[in-house]
Amino acid sequence: MNIKIASVDSVIIYFSDVISKKTSQKVKSAYKLLKALENESLIEIVPSYTSIVITYDIFMYNYEKIQVFLQSVLKDLKIENEGELEVINIDVYYGEEVGIDLQRVANKANISIEEVIQIHSSKTYDVFAIGFLPGFAYMAEVDERIVTSRLESPRKKIPKGSVAIADTQTAIYPQNSPGGWNILGKTTFELFDKTLESLSPITIESKIKFNPISKEVFLKQGGVLEF
Amino acid sequence: MSFKVIKAGIFTTLQDRGRFSFTHLGVTNSGVMDEYATLAAHKLLNNNLNDNILEITFSNVELQSNENTTICITGAICELYINDKLKKTWQTHTIHKDDNIKVGKILEGQRVYLAVKNGFNIPKEFGSNSTTIKESLGGISGTQIKNDDILPYIKNDEIITNRWKEKYIPSYTNELTLRVLLSYQEDSFDSEEKEKFFNSTYTITPDFNRMACKLKGQIIKSSLEGIISEAISFGSIQIPKDGQPIILLKERQTIGGYPKIGSVLSIDCFKLAQMKIGSIIRFEEVNIVNAQEKLKDFYSIFN
Repeated sequence: MNIKIASVDSVIIYFSDVISKKTSQKVKSAYKLLKALENESLIEIVPSYTSIVITYDIFMYNYEKIQVFLQSVLKDLKIENEGELEVINIDVYYGEEVGIDLQRVANKANISIEEVIQIHSSKTYDVFAIGFLPGFAYMAEVDERIVTSRLESPRKKIPKGSVAIADTQTAIYPQNSPGGWNILGKTTFELFDKTLESLSPITIESKIKFNPISKEVFLKQGGVLEF
Repeated sequence: MSFKVIKAGIFTTLQDRGRFSFTHLGVTNSGVMDEYATLAAHKLLNNNLNDNILEITFSNVELQSNENTTICITGAICELYINDKLKKTWQTHTIHKDDNIKVGKILEGQRVYLAVKNGFNIPKEFGSNSTTIKESLGGISGTQIKNDDILPYIKNDEIITNRWKEKYIPSYTNELTLRVLLSYQEDSFDSEEKEKFFNSTYTITPDFNRMACKLKGQIIKSSLEGIISEAISFGSIQIPKDGQPIILLKERQTIGGYPKIGSVLSIDCFKLAQMKIGSIIRFEEVNIVNAQEKLKDFYSIFN
């Protein structure tokens, strides 16, 4: 664990310099522990793959004091057993009208579209970070058979709800946005919902599984076939 | 009891000090670009410092009142008219029913702030009134102020006559030195690159908005191509592949993967908010102890 200056009133804690499930679990455990303190002087706590940035009240802690404080809080950090965590099932219509890169991913992997769908939807994914857009969760790890790198140049508009992969990661676009990920399908699942008190049903601690559905079910759920 | 927006101007938004504690979901902080002007306006009105305020980025805003209150206009030096009479900014003005308030030409600086006694009476979204258009959060309906919008306030008959001391009103010029704390990936910039960074002059490019300020000048190189995405603090200086610094401001993306050489002091970012495209920027290194003292001094004026 390494604490560094981020800005005049924030620090960054690095837990490792490589992405791994173990590091991610450390980040999540530390994040949970820091949140549980309910310390109002910790203004923002933002986790990512290998680090956490903490913005603090400099009238309560100076840089030296916040380091001492964080070191003492995190020194006996235990990685929590996440066994009982509920898996969030997300219905996805994997059809070529909306999954415009299905064929390309299949060709590259030298397998059928059905196999791509089966492989993508059979795994339970961990969330490693949330950002880029509100509710945009970076999930991993995609099965190596369908790993596909980002497009050379991003598309101007990816429709909201598009389910995509890039390298070993998978994600859902929470709103219309430019983007360079490979699109496999579409969902009506809301990742950023102003009517929820929590704003998003997904947090960094969530576990996600994709559930393939038919075109009929997708349309019944209010899905739109347009890309 | 409200102002009717006769003319909204090109880019006027409702803001406050920002939306906190949703950043872990990718929601940006947003908030006023110039906290000095904002806090001064609230202080003059004896408001709560967290009250909301209008941030006016281009001129030509016109409001019509239908009840008594007091307003205060700070920030960029502009032509302010109340019932067609030219008035001073950085002081309070008593407003009566049917008064007409006009923010005309901006003369110096970039952003004008208009506060009303006790703030506009508009419900907060997720703890804040700050407008972030790309997230459809805050403001009246997640967007900028439009013609015919209604800005409600609570009637106030108390007479307030306060004026910001002349010597504390900033003069907005076209050159600015920003104090920088080396931080984040500073180790990936060798001493030669750091020397270049601190001894060059940069120009503000047209890519300057509430998200970020892109500069043009001496190219700076990091030994890293990219980094594992991590949370980005206010004022962080990203160095993308083209070597031209980008200072990340109130509506920045919450996480990002470019190397960062350091962070501009937040209180200097407030000054940057008033600079025009084409202005000259220099960087000066500061240490953390001094930087935190400066920040405390700044907020002590208002508390």
